[in-house]
Order: sequence, then C-alpha cells, then structure tokens
Amino acid sequence: MRLSMPARLARFAMATGLVLSVGAPAAAPVAAADDKVLRIGVLQDLDSTNPYGTILGVGYEAYQLTYEKLVGFGQNIEPIPAFASSWSRSEDGKSWVFKIDPNKKWSDGTPATSADACFSWQLDLDAQKTGDSVGAGYIDYALGPNGSRVTKVECPDPQTMIIYTDDASNRVLQTYIPILPKHIWGKMNYKQIGDDKFDPPDDGSGLVGSGPYLAVEWKTGEEIRFKRNPNYDGHKGVEDEIVFRFFKTNESLVQALKAAEIDYAHNISPEQFKALKGEPNIQVVNGVLNGWTELGFNTYGTGTGKTIKGGGPSTKALLDPAFRDALGYAIDKQKLIDSVIGGLGEIGTTQIPPAMPGVPGHPTWHTEPTNIRTFNIDLAKQKLDAANYGLDSSGRRLDHEGKPISLSLVMPDSDANYAKAGQFITDWFAQLGIKVSPQVLDSDTLYARMLPPEGGKEGKADYDLFIWDWSWGPDPNDALDVFRCDEVGVSSDSLYCNPDYDKLYDQQLVAQTPEERQAILDQMQQMFYDQAPYHILYYNDNLDAYRTDRFGGWQNQPANGVPFMGGFDTWGETQLTDVVVAPSPTAAPSGQAPASGGPSTGGSNPPASGGTGTETSSGGIPVLPIAVVIVVVVVVAGFLAMRRNAARTADDDEDE
Amino acid sequence: MGPRYLARKVIQTIVTIVFVLILNFLLFRMMPGGPEGILLRNPHITAETKAAARARWGLDKPLIPDQLVDYVEATAAGDLGFSYKFRGTPVIEVIGARFWPTIILIGLAELIAIVVGLALGAQAGWKRGGTLDRVGNGASLILYSMPYFVIGMPLIIIFAAELGWFPTSGMLTPGAHYDSFLDQLLDFLHHLVLPLATVSLGLIGGYSILMRSSIIDTRSEDYVTTARAKGLTDRTVLRAHAFPNALLPTVTVIAINLGYVVAGAITAEIVFSWPGLGTLTYDALQTRDYPLLQGIFLLISVAVIVANLGADLLYGRLDPRVRTA
Repeated sequence: MRLSMPARLARFAMATGLVLSVGAPAAAPVAAADDKVLRIGVLQDLDSTNPYGTILGVGYEAYQLTYEKLVGFGQNIEPIPAFASSWSRSEDGKSWVFKIDPNKKWSDGTPATSADACFSWQLDLDAQKTGDSVGAGYIDYALGPNGSRVTKVECPDPQTMIIYTDDASNRVLQTYIPILPKHIWGKMNYKQIGDDKFDPPDDGSGLVGSGPYLAVEWKTGEEIRFKRNPNYDGHKGVEDEIVFRFFKTNESLVQALKAAEIDYAHNISPEQFKALKGEPNIQVVNGVLNGWTELGFNTYGTGTGKTIKGGGPSTKALLDPAFRDALGYAIDKQKLIDSVIGGLGEIGTTQIPPAMPGVPGHPTWHTEPTNIRTFNIDLAKQKLDAANYGLDSSGRRLDHEGKPISLSLVMPDSDANYAKAGQFITDWFAQLGIKVSPQVLDSDTLYARMLPPEGGKEGKADYDLFIWDWSWGPDPNDALDVFRCDEVGVSSDSLYCNPDYDKLYDQQLVAQTPEERQAILDQMQQMFYDQAPYHILYYNDNLDAYRTDRFGGWQNQPANGVPFMGGFDTWGETQLTDVVVAPSPTAAPSGQAPASGGPSTGGSNPPASGGTGTETSSGGIPVLPIAVVIVVVVVVAGFLAMRRNAARTADDDEDE
Repeated sequence: MGPRYLARKVIQTIVTIVFVLILNFLLFRMMPGGPEGILLRNPHITAETKAAARARWGLDKPLIPDQLVDYVEATAAGDLGFSYKFRGTPVIEVIGARFWPTIILIGLAELIAIVVGLALGAQAGWKRGGTLDRVGNGASLILYSMPYFVIGMPLIIIFAAELGWFPTSGMLTPGAHYDSFLDQLLDFLHHLVLPLATVSLGLIGGYSILMRSSIIDTRSEDYVTTARAKGLTDRTVLRAHAFPNALLPTVTVIAINLGYVVAGAITAEIVFSWPGLGTLTYDALQTRDYPLLQGIFLLISVAVIVANLGADLLYGRLDPRVRTA
C-alpha cells in the first residue's frame, strides 16, 4: 500500500516490519516501578526516529509524540494550539501570524521560542527552493506548489512567527513540520538532517522535544519507549510512559492483547475483529480510514498517444473510458465488502474519501457522483457490445483491433485481501468473456514492474489491472494529484493523463473560498468517476482493539475514527484517564479525564539527535547471554561428568 | 595434524568466503526492484530526488566492476556501510543489536538438541526394536518433519494463550521496569522458554534419527563384538566404544548446523516476534536493504564456512584414520 504523507498506515507495514535497535548497552530507563505504562502493539517496525527519515506510519506517530507541530489537530481534525498558542490571518490574506507562549519550554528547560519554529520551517523552505527534498521528502513538499505555497517565514520577536503565502486555503495549519529545538539542531542544514548517514547529536539523555512524550529508548525489532515530558503544556494523559511494541504477525499481536501484555492492538484483521467482540475487557473499534482500496487500470497513452515497446497495457481497450465504465458494472462492491473485509467498509466511489476531513465550517469534500453503477452483468455486456467490444465465436471478448482481451492483474503481497478481491474480479470478468490472469508479487518487485519509462529507463509498465490501496493526509490535493499528467513516472500508477482534469486541479488550487473549491472538486470527482482510471472498490475501515481494564478516556480521532495511529495526530494518547469503573465483562470506558489545563510551560530536554538519537540499548543483553550460557554449559557439563563417573565406578575393572 | 594440512584448510576457507561474498553481492542486486521502490515510495518525490538517492547509494554506477569493487574494498576494510532502511545507522550496529538474541536462542537450542538428541538416538539405536526406539523414532520423525512455526504455534496457543504460563511473544515484557538485573534475567528466561522449546524440539528429531542409524551401523562392527567378548558391560561398550565411533558422522552434521545458528531459525523468530537475525533478514529482504543483507549474509557465510573448517579439523582429530599430514 502506498501511503501519502503523512498518513502511513499499518497495512503497508505488515510486510515491512523493520526495527532498528542501536545496540549500545545502556541502563534500562530510570522510572518508578509504579509508573503507568501504555503499551501499544503495531505490525510495523520502526525504521527511524528522525522525522525526516521515517517513511512509516509508526514513525509518524513516534515523532509527533516528541515534537510538536506548529498547529495540532483536534478530535475532528480541526486546528488546535500546539507549538503556537494562537494564530491569525492578515487582512489581505497573504500572511499568517503565529504567537508562541512566553512561558513555553523545551523538555530540558530551555525556553521555546519562535526562533525554533523559524529554524524548523526554514529547513524545509531551503530544500524547496533548490528543488530538493529533506530526507524521505514526505514533509517538506507541503510547502510547495501543490501545498501551502509558503514563500517566506520571519520571526521578528521570540513570541511571533510570520508565514507568508498567498494560498487562500488554510493548508498552512495542516503542516507536519516538526518544531525542532534550535539549541540542539541549529548547526545542521537540511542536507545533513536528511542524509542517510545522519547521526543526530546526542548528549545521552534522550530526545529533547516539546511534545507530550519523549523517545528515550529504542530497541530495533522490539519496542520504542517514551517518557512523559514534564514541561509539556497541553492536555496530559494519565500514562507516564508509552511503549510501541513491534509484532511480526497479526496472531501474536492479538494474542498479546488478550493476554494483557499490551493495551492496544493496531490493525487487526476483520476475522479477529469479529472474534474479539465478546471478549471481556476488550473493546474493538472500526474507524473510518482516510483512504481506499482500488482496482486500477493501466491507461498509459491516454492523452499522449505514447506507447511502450515491449510493455504498456496489453490492449487499447484499457485506454477507452467506455470500456472501463462497462467493466464497472461487473463489480459487486457490496459483495466484496462482505466477503473480503467482513462487512467493515463502505462502497467506493470518488477519489476523495468521505473520511477526508474538511475545514472548519465545511465538514467534507466528498460528493457522491451521479449515475452510480450497479452490479449488473447483463448491463455490462450490453455496454461492451455498444462500445464495439463484441464476442467472437468462442465467447471471447474482442478489442477494436480484433484481438481477444486478456488482462493481467497484479497485486502486492502486503495484504491477503487483495488476492481474495482479485479472485472475485477474475470470475466476474470471465462472465463477460474477458480473461484475467491474477498474480501476487512482493511490493518491491511490483513497484519495479509498474514503473513506466518516465519513471526510470528500464520501466516498461507491463501490467493491465492492479489492486492496491492508498491512504491520505488531511487535504484533498494529495488524492487528486495522483491522476495528473505530471505524475506519470512519479506517483501515478494508472498512468492517466487528461488535460481537462489537470486544468480543474489548477483551478481548485487557487480557489479563494471552500465553497468555490468544492464546486470544482465536485466536477473533478464526477469526471474521475465517469472516466474511471480506477474503480474504487471500497473505503475500508481501520480496525483496532484495546483493553479497558487499565486505561479509560479512550477517544477516537476523528470521532468516527480510532484512538491511536489514525494517521493525523497523537491527540488520542493525551486523552487517556485511569479506569473509573472496575473491569467488567462489558467494556466500559471511563469518562473524561480531568483537564490538565491549557498552555503550560512546555519544557524539553535536549533532543537526542533527531534520528536515531537515543542510543537505544539492548537493555544490558550482552551480559545476559554470557551468564545464561555459562550456567547452562556448567550444568550440562556437570551432568555429563556425573554420568561418566557413575558409569565408571559401576563398571568392572577393564581396559579401555 | 600437520601444519600443512591446517594451512591448506585455512586458505581454502578464505577463498570460499571471498567467493561467497561476491556471489551474495551479485545475487541481491539481481533481484527485481531496488531499494528505491520501497524507500522512495513517496508520491511527491521528484525524479531528481530519486536520482540523487540512487547516486548516494552508489546504485547509478555500473554493477561490474564499479559497485563490486567498491563493495569488496569497503568490506575488506571492515566498513559494512549504512542501512538503507534504518537510515542513519551503520549496518554493523543494526546487526550487532540483533545478534545476541539469535545466538542465545539458537545456541541453547542446539546445545539441548545435541545432548538430548544424541543420548536418545544412541539409546534407541542400541536397544533397537525396544520401546524407546519405537516410540522415540516415531516422535523424532514427526518432529523432524515439522517446520518451526507448526511446532511453535500450538505451544503458544496452549501454554501462553490458554494456560497463561508463558508470554505469547517477544523477548522481554513490553514496557517493563526492572528493579534489578535478576528481575530482567528472570523476565528474559520466562520469555525464552517457549521459543527455546520450539527450536529444540525441531532439532532433536533430526539429531536423534541421525545418531540412531549411526549407532545401528556401529553395533555390527567387529570391535564391538570384541569388546563384548572381553566381558565388558553393555553400558561400557556403548559408552566407550560404539558411541564415540558413531559420533563421527554426527559431528560433521552438527558442526555444519552450528554455522547456521547465526541465520537464526527465521520462522521460529517470526512466530515469537523474537528480535534476532532471522526477523532482520526477512525484513531486509522485503525492503531490498542491500548493505544490511550483505552484512547479514557475510556473517552467515563466515559462520558456516568456519564451522565447516571446524568440522574438518575436529574430524581429523577424532578419527585417526583420516590423513592429516
């Protein structure tokens, strides 16, 4: 699954769980034995604690615990104070002024000021100006032409930051740039921070940030541990520590939840979801996912007329919207939802998911298209005939060149559900006389196979159909962007190119009000649905589960989402309370935690080098094995020696 | 044994290691796809940034000779490079942190399997047709044929999930704080039991069968008949005469197996989310993290080859019939 910045979700992770543990032996983190620890289980394996180095959802969740953004996301993805305590827009709309609380502190006690914010934003601006990216490139693009189009940042005094942009939207408030402490990071430039070999400066005391919990220990393949930031000035959760535990399989994740080894399991399967429903002290939650699963078409050549020698779509029919439209009537999306994802999803239509958050006053950008297709094989056949894709004498559907249509269907192995959906689709299309050959490949191989020449000289885009998924950030631009002509060879896998679509995109980019933007987005959604470079199969749910016998105050973000790892912010982790009612057979989350008050003096400790920072220890393991091995060897040797002696003395005298 | 024999063996070993190194390097890069597939799966990344990343990773140079020469030179100097996936961390550190969990788990499991497997196999083969033989042989065959996860999952379900005697996965309790080293050691041992049982059971079967058939062969040897004729007890004949000789082929197998210790029983580690080299290898493969893969396979190759060397030398010592001049 390809994830858009910043909403990386665990489905991708199931295949790529990598954990990095920096092996310097260090003492286990100092903490009182009665500290309350929140243990979250995930299937992803953290790759880096550097906000610019990680490409995984768990990495985003991790860095947002330590580093605040300028503006945070509240329960309904509305902007709330984070590093900045308040903000306003200038009359002419060309700049924003952000105020920082004079009492704000980093976790190490150093005052946090606008200088930190300007430094952090300037890193990304510097990269944008040279056309570069910072590290993995997921964060800085948001300041660019498809994002908030920031031109300059200024900090005239320690409490004030001014951001200049003529972008009419409020995308500036949805930026994921982490505010890094200048007194620790200040000597570095964006090239250094994004470099593969970047080893952030570390004074050995853990990461310094202004967020609610600071990363203090990371053992790759195992877990990353966070401790409460005493100087955090936002809402305080009841937990003193948070641990993300990395699991390799779904089964072990859920077993650990049932055995109370963890408190929260992120990304369980639909079967597990159903099985956990009756479990005492466990609450399952299916939240909306800002993304979808699609059946995509290789439409390479649409709008450009280009072809690929030895590759590309196997028939020109794929470039014909009438053909794609007809096939849409041969897909029973409700059946797929029921059979493949256990009924836990919604029928897919447009490329802006219903879960995509709107802006204050404009709750959603999604619009259902007109003329929604129904599942009707006969109608599909009629439409194919009407578009001149008739049958030959052996019942095979022919394209306009007279060739029988035979389509390859490729899917990544990162989710077993793709193959299931693919099987249904193969059968349905067979009824139309179209042969489909499904094939599951590992994600990396698939990526290489789907690359067009624009993406790499060896790219052949040798595929016809594919099933994959996407999940998105808070602004629709990401989701709209993937179908633009420019994205062929970059992020587009439908290889679609429609100048009319691109024109609309450019118009909505400079829309002056949400209403104006919505009108254009309606057109774009209708065009997408009619042209169908993808058939969006479903908007599948986020499935998580948590225990209710140690923590209460579980809040979803958004309200119809999930508490943690929902892909927006680490708001949920700051809302937990103690359990108020005793654990009972029916999960009964307790009520609100007492508010911890507003702006506080956030303090932060010297950020242990952004990236790996924390010299993650292996918890003293090097001593352990030696001790254990010695014990066992001694025991075994002793046992053997004893047997030998006993046998010898029991023997008659004899020569050996 | 003679110095010439030793020297010859050592040189053979070094040559094999170099050959395997080069082969590993080429094989990984021949896999379809490359690290940029996963690592640069950024919808907004520009073609220039992708090219810059490839350049940074040295992937834009021709495979042979440039990349190969760079790699051999760096490795000879002890520089295993930086991981593509764990950006910012040298490969040596990544591997180093995952090394001990595998060594302990697989090392101990081998130890247990060797002691128990050989003893069981010897006893079963000696009293061929006896109860121990019939029951033991059947059990050994079953265990030998079961992959680790097929052994491990029932253990987890029964002893961890149902009875709750042991943790379901991991090496240490998530988020635990330890008042003392002893507490941590105990927690570790508590987590070690099921994975250790899984891998041991998986190995015992094989060693037991091997030893059994070896003992059966030895039983019919002339020197065993002689020893019995001399009036030695059955026990002594087994222990002092048959067993050492039956050990010879087994030693070879065990020594070679030990080399694979560092590969870690991948499936066993995955079932238990045991943070060792097995899971690391699996993950590195998925993301085409070439430097990490090369580092791991270098380690495994060296271990296997050195273990092989050890087997050769050991065999030379154990068996006076082997010419070692």
